[in-house]
Amino acid sequence: MLTRFFVVLITSVLFAGCTLFRPATVEEEKVPLEYPGPDTEIASLLDAHRSQLNRLMNVEIATVKDTLRFGKPESVLGNLVSDAIRSRAANELGAYVNMGIIGESSFKLFFEPGRLTLGEMYEFMPYKNHLVVLTLEGQRVTELINQVAEIGGAPVSGVRFRIDNENTARGVLVNSEVIDPHKKYRVATSSWAADGGDVFPALWEAEERVDLNISVRDVFVDYFRGKSEIYDITDGRIR
Amino acid sequence: MISRKEFLKQAAYLSAGTMLPFSFGRLSDPNIAAPDITILYTNDTHARLDPFPSNAKEFAGLGGIARRASLVKKVRATQKNVLLLDAGDVFQGTPWFDVYGGKVDLKLMTEMKYDAMAVGNHEFDRGTDGFAEAAQKAGFPILASNYSVRNTPMSSFVQRQLIKEFKGFRIGIFGLGIELNGVVNRDLYGNVRYSDAERTARRMVESLRGFHRCDYIICLSHLGYQYTDNRPNDVKLAGSVEGIDLIIGGHTHTFLDEPVIRENPEGKPTIITQMGHSGVRVGRLDLRFSEMNVDHQFRFYTIDGK
Repeated sequence: MLTRFFVVLITSVLFAGCTLFRPATVEEEKVPLEYPGPDTEIASLLDAHRSQLNRLMNVEIATVKDTLRFGKPESVLGNLVSDAIRSRAANELGAYVNMGIIGESSFKLFFEPGRLTLGEMYEFMPYKNHLVVLTLEGQRVTELINQVAEIGGAPVSGVRFRIDNENTARGVLVNSEVIDPHKKYRVATSSWAADGGDVFPALWEAEERVDLNISVRDVFVDYFRGKSEIYDITDGRIR
Repeated sequence: MISRKEFLKQAAYLSAGTMLPFSFGRLSDPNIAAPDITILYTNDTHARLDPFPSNAKEFAGLGGIARRASLVKKVRATQKNVLLLDAGDVFQGTPWFDVYGGKVDLKLMTEMKYDAMAVGNHEFDRGTDGFAEAAQKAGFPILASNYSVRNTPMSSFVQRQLIKEFKGFRIGIFGLGIELNGVVNRDLYGNVRYSDAERTARRMVESLRGFHRCDYIICLSHLGYQYTDNRPNDVKLAGSVEGIDLIIGGHTHTFLDEPVIRENPEGKPTIITQMGHSGVRVGRLDLRFSEMNVDHQFRFYTIDGK
């Protein structure tokens, strides 16, 4: 086992009553340091708790057929998670939901081929956010889509557009129609994004907000369970 | 026989009397071979008991408490006076937390002989009852000086400060927690009351230095490294409160490759450090006390499996 470390010496210099100080980087190097493998005592204590963990978490919820990742402008995982929150929001609300959006920074895993377990879903989405449906005016939706385009794409559902060389959205269609600036649109997202986290300020001043009593993690667990097999397919919603 | 502490106090007095320019630190001798105290620290470990899985978007294969324990043991084998500290958010982040609510983390940290940890905002993720249940496994103090926990389930598990003495040097350690309102759901923090971090820090330093005669003050902060707005943070704290020697920070998951040094109101340096998150890194500061000064040598370890 190898551990790297950097060394920096901090010195203080006191000069005629006033202190000057700065980090004196006298040594900054990568030094390989051999040390034993995992501590056996701690590892065995941890393992003593592992069967309970596995019993609850090593439960298969779907089979992953390809290596699936997040990415820009669109990605298979980005499309799946945004479709998941949009369709679940519609089910819970009993009404049509125009869009789904959730930043990919909320997700901590990609999928490898094989069993997708419940434990992985807890790591995939480790945060306790719940599902929120916002009502935005059409002009806000245009702002939102431009905020997506500015960062080169993000997980969105219900929308098709391309991003030009100036990182502006072109040919935007929401549910196959041009945006009506005065129409109201329902947008599903996470409570974190709606509360001012994430990178989409257009979500922060919604006309209406409905908080649904369901965690976004559960939305994904249920969605992937329902799919049973997950393939690497994208549909060109952002180009 | 004069104690080393008394000797240094006298030496300091004499040095101060000369008013001559003088310098500290041994640039010609950059390695502190025999530190008086070695501080090892983590923050925001977030239930990362196992290393990151191979399909993690970041840090695949890094971290893991058993490897961290192995490193700590190795350091303890050569250094007599080791302080092992954590700046909070041990809870939440992997299925280990969902199944065990932080109990396994605190138990293993106790086995590793952690000396103290701060209270992070995620320590409230299962409410004050959930905290108390897990904290029974912690055989070390959990510190928050600016949270009033009276009449809450947390009251017997949180204390304001800890004083450790090594070779006659008294190290005062206190914890600072983040403003709960807006960060933690009110239902989860219940009757725990937050007090202004800077004002509390000032009072803690006065008490630790004045009443408890501490020579060196460490703040375990879960305020966050720095913000553009006015919220309390480590950089602001360092610049506005005198008497803190070292801020071991957390919350913002900041990987500081080098400690950041700020001049505090009395013109002395306050060192700020933070080790990212998830136990990917362990920080180390070797302290050597000399006349009027403490030399610090910093390094960090990346816990990987290669």
